[in-house]
Amino acid sequence: MKFICLLLTGMLLTGCIGDDIIFDTVEETVRISNPIDSLQVGDTFQFTASYLNNIGVEENQTILWSSSDPSKASIAEDGTATGIELGQTQIIARVELPTKTVADSMLLNISNTTTTPPAVTERSGSIVTTSSYLLQGDFTLREDNGDLILEFDSNYAASSALPGLYVYLTNNPNTNNNAFEIGEVTTFSGAHSYIISGIELNQYDYLLYYCKPFSVKVGDGDIE
Amino acid sequence: METSNKTNEIMKNIIIIFSLLVLPGLAIAQSPWTQKKGGGFYKLSQWWVISDGHFTDTGQIDPNVTSGVFNTSFYGQYGITDRVTAVLYFPFFSRAYFNNTISGTTGEVITPGESVNSIGDTDIGITYAILKNKGIKLSSTLLLGLPIGKSAGGESGILQTGDGEFNQLLRVDVGGGLSVKKVNLYSAAYFGFNNRTNGFSDELRYGFEVGGIFFKEKFVATLRLSGISSLENGSAADPANGTSLFANNSEHFSWSPELAYNFTDKFGVSASFGKAFSGKLIFANPAYSFGVYLKM
Repeated sequence: MKFICLLLTGMLLTGCIGDDIIFDTVEETVRISNPIDSLQVGDTFQFTASYLNNIGVEENQTILWSSSDPSKASIAEDGTATGIELGQTQIIARVELPTKTVADSMLLNISNTTTTPPAVTERSGSIVTTSSYLLQGDFTLREDNGDLILEFDSNYAASSALPGLYVYLTNNPNTNNNAFEIGEVTTFSGAHSYIISGIELNQYDYLLYYCKPFSVKVGDGDIE
Repeated sequence: METSNKTNEIMKNIIIIFSLLVLPGLAIAQSPWTQKKGGGFYKLSQWWVISDGHFTDTGQIDPNVTSGVFNTSFYGQYGITDRVTAVLYFPFFSRAYFNNTISGTTGEVITPGESVNSIGDTDIGITYAILKNKGIKLSSTLLLGLPIGKSAGGESGILQTGDGEFNQLLRVDVGGGLSVKKVNLYSAAYFGFNNRTNGFSDELRYGFEVGGIFFKEKFVATLRLSGISSLENGSAADPANGTSLFANNSEHFSWSPELAYNFTDKFGVSASFGKAFSGKLIFANPAYSFGVYLKM
């Protein structure tokens, strides 16, 4: 009986749940959400920007706006730009963090018309394995009647041996935390697609394949 | 429901593989020697493995969330006749868990760890001595795997102390011994077919061991080699069902040294570990065991 008690005690002591640390830090980023090609002299345009923190999650931060050449276009604290004189200037959106500055910028032409770039309705990329499991293929993410369609080409292939494989949209390819779960992978080769609702085309920059039960990344792909 | 089934398969694999790696060496008789009538061998042991990596389907090693399995078990052999020995392996306390997953950036718990405690899947069987009195011993064993452990433990339902599958293992053991300069040496080998149900692939099991008894029969040292090959004939081998494939078609080739010390003619302790040289879809870390035994 003493031996059994000793065994059970030892087992409970050594069988305690511990912590596995995931290295999930990413670079902070600022994104100008609505870039334009040109701004007419005398016109105004309201720019917007967002900030993603060091785990890839959108966070409220004060966006500081500036123009590299205020004589061509000025920009107010709220991101409203005004065309002043023909020429070019860089519009800069930045966030001041305690240890560094994170910024995004775009070239703005001041001209006789205000023009916006063609609306992006499609993005694409390729998934690659980051593990020992097979994962490859090209994909396209496109808008379709308010939804997004994620389509894989015929060159798609994934190992069917790994259990609990899920696919996500994310801004942090190191973890599935805070990612948008598209669904469990049930197709392991060839062309197929997913219909995704409630997500905007430019909301995420990575496609992530993640094994949930093992809490490990299997592969990813930049959404260009 | 489908997701639950699939995640269950994962932990099923954990239990199955750990059992496969260790039970042949530590609990289930792996030799052709049987008990005499009324005689017995009884063992209380603690077996455990903590794993943060596994062999993939291509035989490479990938990480996984740290998981542990602990079995406190009773193993017994009893001689019904001089040729027929009854065998029981009963893990009366089995614990399985996996760790918390923590963000290294924020310290946030991404996925909380879980654990489950219960009895585990149990094996009962009969060994028949075909050749008992000759220099070479030969026996055959029928072992039934009873799925009485938990098959869906923890809040997530992915922890298991049993696989929910009834299997029947038919095995043949052959072996012999000799004495060299007051040291008794022995060797044995086995080959078996494991018929598995619930869509699991059947398996071929094989093993070889050599051992020696030293220092006035106080120390027993054994080295075991064992392997499992899947016949890949389970229904879950369908590529459309990846999780079942993972659970079903695991393979390994492992080694397991064991050292035992006899305090008396009847009482002793043993310690061992087992590790896979190679494998597919199994955990890669070594398993350990410690036990006390009684020979009657």
